[in-house]
Amino acid sequence: MGGRGRGRGNAVSFNIEQLGFGRGEAGPVSVTQPPPLFPSLENRPLPLIKDVENEYILVTQKDLSTRMRNSPFYLKKSENPSYEKELPVLWNRMPAELRETLPKRIATGNSKVTLNAKKKKVEDPDKIFAKLEKKERNESEVEEDGDGKEDEDDQDKSDDEKVENEDDVKEDLDDEMDDDTDYANNYFENGEAYLEDEEGQDDGEAQF
Amino acid sequence: MEKLSAKSDHIYLGEAIVKKALAVMIQHNLVKFQASERNNNVAEYTMIHHNVYCLIRYPKYLYMIKRIYGTSEEILLEILLNLGQASASNVIFHSANRLNEANDSEVLSPSALHQSFQRLAQDNFIIRCPKLAENATLLKVPTLEIEEKEKFAVPNVEIEPIARMLKEKATQLGGHCDSEIIWRVNHERFDIELRNVILVNAAARRVDTTAGELYHLILKLWRESSNPDSPVTTPVSYNVIKDAVRKNDSSPILLEHFDHYLRVLYEDSAGLIDRAGDAGGGQFNLDYSKVFENLACASLDSIVLERFGSKALRLFRLTRIQKFMEQDQMQNVAMIPAKEAKMFTYKLLEHNFLQIKELKKGTSNFAPVKSFILYHVELPQVVRTTLEASYKGLFNAMVRQMHDLTENQRLLEKHAMLESMLERLKGDGVPDEEIAELSDTMPPAEKSLVEKIHLMSDNLTLGQTQADETILILESYLKFKSKEL
Repeated sequence: MGGRGRGRGNAVSFNIEQLGFGRGEAGPVSVTQPPPLFPSLENRPLPLIKDVENEYILVTQKDLSTRMRNSPFYLKKSENPSYEKELPVLWNRMPAELRETLPKRIATGNSKVTLNAKKKKVEDPDKIFAKLEKKERNESEVEEDGDGKEDEDDQDKSDDEKVENEDDVKEDLDDEMDDDTDYANNYFENGEAYLEDEEGQDDGEAQF
Repeated sequence: MEKLSAKSDHIYLGEAIVKKALAVMIQHNLVKFQASERNNNVAEYTMIHHNVYCLIRYPKYLYMIKRIYGTSEEILLEILLNLGQASASNVIFHSANRLNEANDSEVLSPSALHQSFQRLAQDNFIIRCPKLAENATLLKVPTLEIEEKEKFAVPNVEIEPIARMLKEKATQLGGHCDSEIIWRVNHERFDIELRNVILVNAAARRVDTTAGELYHLILKLWRESSNPDSPVTTPVSYNVIKDAVRKNDSSPILLEHFDHYLRVLYEDSAGLIDRAGDAGGGQFNLDYSKVFENLACASLDSIVLERFGSKALRLFRLTRIQKFMEQDQMQNVAMIPAKEAKMFTYKLLEHNFLQIKELKKGTSNFAPVKSFILYHVELPQVVRTTLEASYKGLFNAMVRQMHDLTENQRLLEKHAMLESMLERLKGDGVPDEEIAELSDTMPPAEKSLVEKIHLMSDNLTLGQTQADETILILESYLKFKSKEL
């Protein structure tokens, strides 16, 4: 910084008197560190207003927060997935994807097309191949961005989903069965089942 | 706007929880959704910031409704706030249950509650949610729509099934005829009401409570005749006001001196009433931007006063009123010694209450260039800074409260259980000695700690409420200022 114009110093744009210091008086203390996180209060703030309205507000606030905490709306981490009956939410006004129960996603690269993909048991290899072919066709059609084709997509998807929904119901029953007899299933190692389980485990951890 | 899959990737809680959380937030009007443009089967979710902020104002809503109407309307609103969105029958059913729980002697009939519900809808405090479009059940992402005239229309509610369910002490109302007509709280209307309360209180403080009454009546007249979005109300004539005062059950003082009160209010510099013309005995309207500017300035003044002292306040007000001032001018007009004036000016500058404008003067190339340094108060900027500070204060209070409560959760729960046990025993008529023994299981040190925690939590809640009031005034100022431009 330039000199403070003492006597015949360099001409600077301000006059020492304008800054408010006389000669020989110390300048302002230079700042060497960020200001303290909790600076001390110079004046004590005014006391809080405590009238009828605020008393009422206190009581109501506590009441409302306790009710909310005890209501089924308060979600805790360890809830099981069968929630559609428990949560008193208006389900028919929400997007369908929120209503679906927890799917085990096959870890594929394309998350858009397989948004509704569910873990399928290898029931009918022919059916699976047919679906995969259709999906491949759909993928290339989606990239081309045609309007008429998208209708086909939706139809195909809804067809897929109808089949998948049926599969789902069966799967739910199967899943419960499997959970009970998991040990028996895994004991007799089956190459395919082993791979499928591993992919499912990926879903349990964080996804990036 | 985010898609569900994007959300699940970010949040490591697991997809089921994310879905539930979204559903709960949509139910409580905090999040809205619409079908994504590229893919109709996927929804994109947006947060409604204002509604999330208004969560802190729910107790104020209840207090206002209680004052304006009464207990049954208050309970109706509370149930609606708890449920988020619900049909009229559901709300009435749960309210009747709640009232019966609290009050065994009186049994409030559902039809009385239905009338209360209608009153709330008439005054627009509750509003209908958009309903499902016809083909919505086929779509993955339902479209919701509503027409203007249907927004506050209360459907016919069948009282019979509700009364029957109540008698059977059911906990849930089954299917009912108006289950597709869903209501929610109308936040905009409550904001208007909160603002009116601030204005009425201002009138009452400025003059006296009777003036507050008069102002309340005039506000109602303005609200009925004006467009809610315009920054200036339509003018209302003197005769109309007089009629309203007579029709309404006002105090005799108001009837007698109504003229004088009106005159005092519109001549007052706060701008609570503006005289807009002379037709019909005098036309009066309200300019929101002017009134809220005055209120915002008053808030800023009191903030400066409490933080820096009255001398700083004098400087601040002076600069605000005189627009641009030089340092010397300031200390002369404010009659404050030079050194102190400079110190306070610097402090105000440091905290951004004052702003600087430099004007160069002097054209000679040899002499040092001198410049004018002018101080001024740029109101929108100062208001925005103070608003940020208020938000931070509110946030700090909330964080601290949460921290206190969770740290001592075990202790508080133990205390709560003890209290409820003691209550039950007292009700059963257990002798006092046993009760005293039981209450001694908790040492007095712990009891006093619990007391302290409750006290601190209460103070923090009060602090949050008051910060919210300041925030409302400052936000309203900024809102009306941007409208007038």
